[in-house]
Amino acid sequence: MSDIIKQNLWDIIVLNTSESEAEWLQNRAASSRMDLMTAFVAAPRFLSKKIIFINQDQQFALNAEIPGFSVEGWSLVRLARVWLLTQLDPSDKEDYVKDIETLFDTAEMNELVALYAALPVLSYPDQWLFRATDAVRSNMGFVFDAIALHNPYPEKHFSELAWNQLVLKTIFNDKPIHFIEGLDNRANEKLAMTLSDFAHERWAAGRSVPAQVWRLAGRFMNTTLLADMQHLFDSEQVDDRKAAALACNDSSLAPAHYLLAKYIDLEKSVKSGALAWADLEH
Amino acid sequence: MCLNTNDIAPNPSHFEDSEETATPAHRDIAWNDYKDLIKGMRFFDPHIHMVSRTTDDYQAMHQAGIVALIEPAFWVGQPRTGLSSFKDYYSSLVGWERFRSSQFGIKHYCTMGLNSREANNEPLAEQVMEILPLYIYKEGVVGVGEIGFDDQTPAEEKYYRLQLELAKKAKLPVQIHTPHRDKKKGTERSMAIALEHGIDPSWVIVDHNNEETVKSVLDKGFWAAFTIYPFTKMGNERMVKVVEQYGPERIMVNSAADWGISDPLAIPKTAALMKMRGISDETIRLVTYQNAIDAFGKSGQIDVTDFESGYAIDHTEKFHGNSILRGGQQPVPAKDSLVIN
Repeated sequence: MSDIIKQNLWDIIVLNTSESEAEWLQNRAASSRMDLMTAFVAAPRFLSKKIIFINQDQQFALNAEIPGFSVEGWSLVRLARVWLLTQLDPSDKEDYVKDIETLFDTAEMNELVALYAALPVLSYPDQWLFRATDAVRSNMGFVFDAIALHNPYPEKHFSELAWNQLVLKTIFNDKPIHFIEGLDNRANEKLAMTLSDFAHERWAAGRSVPAQVWRLAGRFMNTTLLADMQHLFDSEQVDDRKAAALACNDSSLAPAHYLLAKYIDLEKSVKSGALAWADLEH
Repeated sequence: MCLNTNDIAPNPSHFEDSEETATPAHRDIAWNDYKDLIKGMRFFDPHIHMVSRTTDDYQAMHQAGIVALIEPAFWVGQPRTGLSSFKDYYSSLVGWERFRSSQFGIKHYCTMGLNSREANNEPLAEQVMEILPLYIYKEGVVGVGEIGFDDQTPAEEKYYRLQLELAKKAKLPVQIHTPHRDKKKGTERSMAIALEHGIDPSWVIVDHNNEETVKSVLDKGFWAAFTIYPFTKMGNERMVKVVEQYGPERIMVNSAADWGISDPLAIPKTAALMKMRGISDETIRLVTYQNAIDAFGKSGQIDVTDFESGYAIDHTEKFHGNSILRGGQQPVPAKDSLVIN
C-alpha cells in the first residue's frame, strides 16, 4: 500500500477530529501491534460519532491513488479504523495476515464494515478474497453493503462467478446496483441470462424486479432477452417500459431495434438522450 | 427445564433453583385483558438471552413496548470445547444477534464475560481471558457479565476476581450472577470480593435477588436486580410486594429469559401487575426502564436517543443518512391469516 494513501486518509482525519482525538490516534498507531488492534476495537469510545466532511480535492486525491475508492458518507470511526489498519506494519507477511484475520474473527458489525471498506488499501490483496466473497454471503445489510457498494475491491479481484453472485444478491436484496463499482466493466452474458431467470421467478410469484437491472442485459441481447423486453414493454410500470427501450438501444442486434421502433415516443427519448439509465437509478 | 426443581435435572437452566419448591400460584388474569394498562410505556430488559429465543418473541416484545435490552454472555447449555466456540459466541453477541434485534426494532446491548460454570474448565478459561479484552471494549458492551459464583469453587473465585480487575481497567459496570444453591452466602461473598477489589458498589448490579438477599444488597449500595422467571425464581406478585416494601431506588426487573421455560414478556407483565396494584407510573418507570439505563449507562455506551422514541420500523424506508442502506427490517407477518404471502 502506498504512503500517499496513508497521508491522504490522515489529512481527512485531521480535518474531522479535535486535537485530542488526533493525538489519541497517533499515539495508538505508534504503540505495539496489540495496542493498535485494541484501538481499532475501542475507537468509538474515544472518537465522536459523526459523519465526516471531505472536500473535493481530497476526494479527487483518493481517486487518483485508487480509482473508485471513496470515503464519502463514512463515519469518523470507520475512517479512523481504516487509517489504523494502514498503520499496521506489513513487512512480515505472516504476522500481518494473522492480525488482520484476528480482527475479522472477533469483529462486530461496524468493525466488519470498516474491515471490508479497508480491503482496497490493505497489503496482500489476494489474501482477503475468501473474506470478501464471504461478506457477499452476509445477511447483515451493512456488511453486505460495505463490500458490494462503493467498493473497488470486487471489480479488481473477484472471479466472474463471485462477481455475478455479488450483483445478483444486490438485486435480490432490492439494493441499487448503480452503487456497485465497475458494474459496466464487468457485465457479462452469464449474468444477463441469470438475471432473466431471476426475473421470470419474480414475475411468476407476482413480484417485480427494479427496472434499472436491465442495464445488464442490453449488450447480450438474444431471443430469450428479447422476449423479456417485450414483457417489459407490455408492463403497466412506466419504468419497465423505459428500461426495455434503453436495453434495446444498448443492443447491436437488429431485432432489438425493430422492437424499439414500435414504441415511437420511447425510441425518440432514448435516441435523443432525453432518457438515460441514470433516470432509473433509484 | 424441569418443573420439579427438587430433581437433579440433566440439563438445568443456568439459574434453576434447586432449593426452592415449585409452588406456582396461578391466577386467572389474562395478559390480553390487561396489556392496555401499560399502553405507551417503554421497557428496558437488562438481562435476556436472545440467542435462545425466536423471532416470535422479538415481535411480541416489540409490541409490548420493550425498546432495548441487554444480553449478558452466559453458558449456552452445551459446554464449549474450545476457544473458537467462545469467540463465535462473543462475536454473535455484538454481531449477528445485535443486528437481528435491530431488525425487530429493539436496541441490543450486551455484557461480556466468562460465566462461572465454564470458569471451572481452567485450561480453557485461561485462553478465554486472553481474548476477552478484545471484546469488552466493543461498541455497545455495557458491562462485564454475567460473572460470579455457581458452585463457589476456587476456580470460579479466581476468574471472578480477574474479571473484576478487567472491569475496573476498562471502566465498565459489573453484572453479577448470584448462585442457585447457597444463594445467600454466595451473594454476600460476591459483594465482599467486589468491595475488596475497590469497586464502587454503584457500578455493580447484583442479579437474581429474592426477598432474602435484597436488603443486604441495597444497604451496601449495590444495584438489586430481580429476575421474573416462572416456577423457579421470583414470581411477579412477589416482585410487586418487594417494590411496595423497598420502593424503586436501585431496584430493577429483568426476565433472564433463556432456553428454559421463561417469559420474554416478564417486564411488561410485571408492569401491568404493578399498575393494577396501584403502584405509581413513576415507580414502574424506574424499575422497568430508567434504573437499568442509569446503572449500565455508566459504561458510556447507552445513548437513549437511539431508542427512547422507539426504533422507527418503516419497511419501505431504504435509505438512512448518507446513502447508507438499511438492512431491510423484517416485515411483520399477519399471524392470524391462513394464507401466507
